[in-house]
Amino acid sequence: MIVELGHFALVLALVLSLVQSVLPVTGALKGDNRLMAVAPPVSVMLFLLVGLSFAALTMAYVTSDFSVVNVWENSHSTKPLIYKISGVWGNHEGSVLLWVLILVFFGALVGAFGSNIPAPLRSATLSVQAWITAGFLLFILATSNPFARIAQAPIEGNDLNPILQDIGLAIHPPLLYVGYVGFSITFSFAVAALMLGRIDAAWARWVRPWTLLAWVFLTLGISMGSYWAYYELGWGGWWFWDPVENASLMPWLAGTALLHSALVMEKREALKVWTILLAIFTFSLSLLGTFLVRSGVLTSVHAFATDPARGIFILVLLCLFIGGSLTLYAWRAPMLKQGGLFAPISREGSLVLNNLFLTAATVAVFVGTLYPLALDIVTGEKISVGAPFFNLTFGPILVPLLMAIPFGPVLAWKRGDLLAASQRLYAAFGIALAACLFCFWLWGMKMVLAPLGVGLAVWVMVGAAAEILGRIRLRDVGLARGISRLTGLPGSVWGTAIAHFGVGVTLLGIVTASAFQVEQIRTMKPQDIVSLEGFDMTFEGAVPRKGPNYTEEVAHFTVRQGGVEIARLDPSKRVYTARQMPTTEAAILTLGVSQLYLSLGESRGDGAVDVRVYYKPLITLIWIGCVIMAFGGLVSIADRRLRVGAPKPARKSKAAAPAAQPAE
Amino acid sequence: MIFWILIAALTAAAALTVLVPFARANAGRSGASLTGAAADAAVYRQQLAEVDKDLERGVIDAEAARAARAEIARRLLSAADAETAEAGSPVLANWPRKLVFVVAAMLLPAGAFGIYTAIGEPDQPDQPLIARLSAPAETQSVQMLVARVERHLADNPNDGEGWAVLAPVYLRMGNAQSAAQAYFNTIRLLGPTAKRQADYGEALTMANNGIVSADANAAFEKSVELDPKMAKARFFLALALGQEGKTDAAVAAWNALLDGADPNEPWVPAAQRQLAELKGGPVAAPGAAGGQGEALPGPSAADVTAAQSMNADDRTAMIRGMVENLAGRLADGGGTVDEWLRLIRAYVVLDDKGKAEEALASARQNLADDAGALSQINAFASEAGL
Amino acid sequence: MIGAAGAVLAAAVGLILYALNDQIVFFQSPTDVVEKGIGPGQRIRLGGLVEEGSVVRADDAHVTFSVTDTSNTVKVTYTGILPDLFREGQGVVTEGMVGPDGVFVADNVLAKHDENYVPKEVAEALKKQGVWKGDN
Repeated sequence: MIVELGHFALVLALVLSLVQSVLPVTGALKGDNRLMAVAPPVSVMLFLLVGLSFAALTMAYVTSDFSVVNVWENSHSTKPLIYKISGVWGNHEGSVLLWVLILVFFGALVGAFGSNIPAPLRSATLSVQAWITAGFLLFILATSNPFARIAQAPIEGNDLNPILQDIGLAIHPPLLYVGYVGFSITFSFAVAALMLGRIDAAWARWVRPWTLLAWVFLTLGISMGSYWAYYELGWGGWWFWDPVENASLMPWLAGTALLHSALVMEKREALKVWTILLAIFTFSLSLLGTFLVRSGVLTSVHAFATDPARGIFILVLLCLFIGGSLTLYAWRAPMLKQGGLFAPISREGSLVLNNLFLTAATVAVFVGTLYPLALDIVTGEKISVGAPFFNLTFGPILVPLLMAIPFGPVLAWKRGDLLAASQRLYAAFGIALAACLFCFWLWGMKMVLAPLGVGLAVWVMVGAAAEILGRIRLRDVGLARGISRLTGLPGSVWGTAIAHFGVGVTLLGIVTASAFQVEQIRTMKPQDIVSLEGFDMTFEGAVPRKGPNYTEEVAHFTVRQGGVEIARLDPSKRVYTARQMPTTEAAILTLGVSQLYLSLGESRGDGAVDVRVYYKPLITLIWIGCVIMAFGGLVSIADRRLRVGAPKPARKSKAAAPAAQPAE
Repeated sequence: MIFWILIAALTAAAALTVLVPFARANAGRSGASLTGAAADAAVYRQQLAEVDKDLERGVIDAEAARAARAEIARRLLSAADAETAEAGSPVLANWPRKLVFVVAAMLLPAGAFGIYTAIGEPDQPDQPLIARLSAPAETQSVQMLVARVERHLADNPNDGEGWAVLAPVYLRMGNAQSAAQAYFNTIRLLGPTAKRQADYGEALTMANNGIVSADANAAFEKSVELDPKMAKARFFLALALGQEGKTDAAVAAWNALLDGADPNEPWVPAAQRQLAELKGGPVAAPGAAGGQGEALPGPSAADVTAAQSMNADDRTAMIRGMVENLAGRLADGGGTVDEWLRLIRAYVVLDDKGKAEEALASARQNLADDAGALSQINAFASEAGL
Repeated sequence: MIGAAGAVLAAAVGLILYALNDQIVFFQSPTDVVEKGIGPGQRIRLGGLVEEGSVVRADDAHVTFSVTDTSNTVKVTYTGILPDLFREGQGVVTEGMVGPDGVFVADNVLAKHDENYVPKEVAEALKKQGVWKGDN
């Protein structure tokens, strides 16, 4: 009954989303308050219905209800509970349902908490969101129904792909989807604004927290996915330029550009046309990513051609939404009045530069991802575009951007003074140069790029700190006042500095982990020792072990440093019983922010085993930096000043001002 | 029924989320919520306040603040203009109330029910595995029962009784390999008896395509050791002798077996055929004992293979066989009330009313002394319409 | 402003085109390698089936095996941990260069994370040879 209830809720959500698609937007265009009043409660109801549906499917997974085809295909009764739950989105049908759940979740957020947004904009936005919802609900029910049943329920399921049975999978896709799909709300805002013909600085302010929220989750989702691939695939790499990864990177790059251009639009009412276009592009890239991953076109162009129902459906949705919004854009954008003017050297100018480079980087990833597909379809020629292509294009495009990061926040709006800005960054530049020279001294001239990379990373990090220090003018005002100024800085300033600092941290991790990784591959017999960077790892032998739904061969290693035992590592080779599929479980020892990474290869007959050991200096900084970036985004969202609109917050901020007064 | 009530409630809730706010909101433009221009103006006033705050904190200097104020004031003015323009424009006619009502109260439920009845399966109940496993045994399929016992044994691998129950079922299902393993475990845990050893040997022989292997032979010998009268073990030992080409010894063994046997025993014709073959025909070469399969008391090697690719009908036949087994056992030695109930229910399920009545009669006869059991039987019989 | 933007975009496009020209790796079957005579120094992806009985493991994860499309066979050497699903008779894609002795030196061996997976390039190349029996 619960399963069928979930199925019905999904159908009801489809019909209700069709109602939502029509009524509020009609109200917004015709000026009928009653129709507009429908939008917020319906958006919440849609979320409840899809949520009920999702809960029903989860329930079927948890109770191993194999009368549901989807459960039977992707679950197994012996699977640990956490993987029964994460298995819900570990397959095509369930993941699309999660996609829609997040879509309606963002709609409900705007419906429930967007009361400061003008009613017409909010209603039209929720209608546009409902168009997307209806499209994807139709897709689910027509081609990928997770509630299909089997008359004769089998006794046991087929189990989930063992690679996906990992805590990383439990967290990674939901985070990624919240990010991916979160940009839908920005898209809906943009389309609604185009329809209503009202695009001004206020619009950017309404949209900015939603964009930030999506961006924060996408940042976390991508870094989480990268870490998952790093430890689960056992290859020791953290980014593979795989099309699936690129599919999530493209919306991130475009979304980052959008964040920055929306800032210009909010503060100066400039770049309106461009910002709206970016909002459309960002979500279009999310849709494109969904298409690439979900249609099977990546596995094989020909598999796509033989079973095209799903692919064609998403492709049609893709064309409809992207084509429709761009047409609307082409029609409406020329009517927009261009707002504030600015000189090339100004905060706006630096943000334009940021957008240029980010867009160029997006294009590079786009070409690298889709060119092989296009070539295969057109000429049948098979090529692979791998890391070298991306290193050659992505790197040079991003380096000038990274160099420019510290300048942006210290430039004044409208017309800035590069010299004055540089003066504020002298110290930062000096420290970066010193770090660079120190690295040259440390490693010699063998590696030129690594010290330069370290210097760049330090420059970005110290530059972010300099921005904060510059604002409080510690030297002029003294320590006590300086600290009070520090706490009085707006959240968005802190957010910017923290996020930029995070970029530097990630960069530092990337540079050191790529340049100074050390690795050894050895065939080891019990009691053999492999030494790496001062660590001696003794192979103590391998023993079989039985997990809940797998058997494994665990190799025990003792790690010693200077003769002292510091840790034991147990990498293993698993075979998952239900699918008879082998996986490699790497063992990782985190030392500060560096890691020792141990993974197993073939085991030989005589108790010997192939072992691959890496030492990866500062590698965790890559992900720590991403978390810092996301944290910066959160701080920026928390900035009260973003939630203005209704008179209430205005009074609140006045009330807050006297509290800060005595300290000054 | 509850399902349909819940569905109706959901639909009603969805319709009400459209209708209630629609009915409660004021018609026309002027309402509680801000119009676009008014909300924009609020943003700009907020921006002005921010500029003041920034100036106070010294984030920007006086000149920059003046420029910013001027710019924001311009936006504020244009927003105010828009506000007046909107206020001045005529209020549009109300959206036809009937149309919204039709959409929310009729199209919405009709659409949802229409689509759902086309693609949903409202009659299909949930089937969580735990509930299926703990459902009353007589309502479950054989596979389900086996899965249940297997699950139990996975947790308690030292439950000998469990293995003892499972072993003959495996054999019936054609899974001789598992049957042999199950008998092995039974013997390991409960100790050897003549019957267990004979059954173990039989399973091993089945798994080996009807050829008596050395292991099987040892099991049969052990069986005969424990009970020299054990017909099944002697049968296979005789068969083994024939397969090994020891014709004389085989003939002697068959004769000895048939000598004291009740001619009604099911294996007697097969034994006689074997004997005739050994006497008349050429010596059966090892492994070439093609014809013997049909003579075996259990499913033969050929059956074993066939069972693995059974269709539904055949499987019913096999289940029928298992029911027959149960019937035989109950007829011979009697049984508990639950066993009798299971048997009667099985016949009802197999749609064999005559047999069910028959079983009911014998059950009544067998359990005549037990008033409680009788009333249980009678209650079930009336429920099943017997 | 516009000029600077144009310059950045032009540089980016130039970079992408240059990289597309230079950094793309073509997929080749063993037959391609033998017939086209792909010389040493050109980086390619070589795909096919791992020939039965050809895998020889030495110490420290040195391994040699042959990749075949049933008409032609190329010998491959590789040092490193092979993917979990690397098996004789199964599809494989290796990346690297043909050495001066005609042996393919791989620095990367790929087999996907699914036991039924045959790399799409391999499947299509095998189909061309008429030896593929899969259904897609």
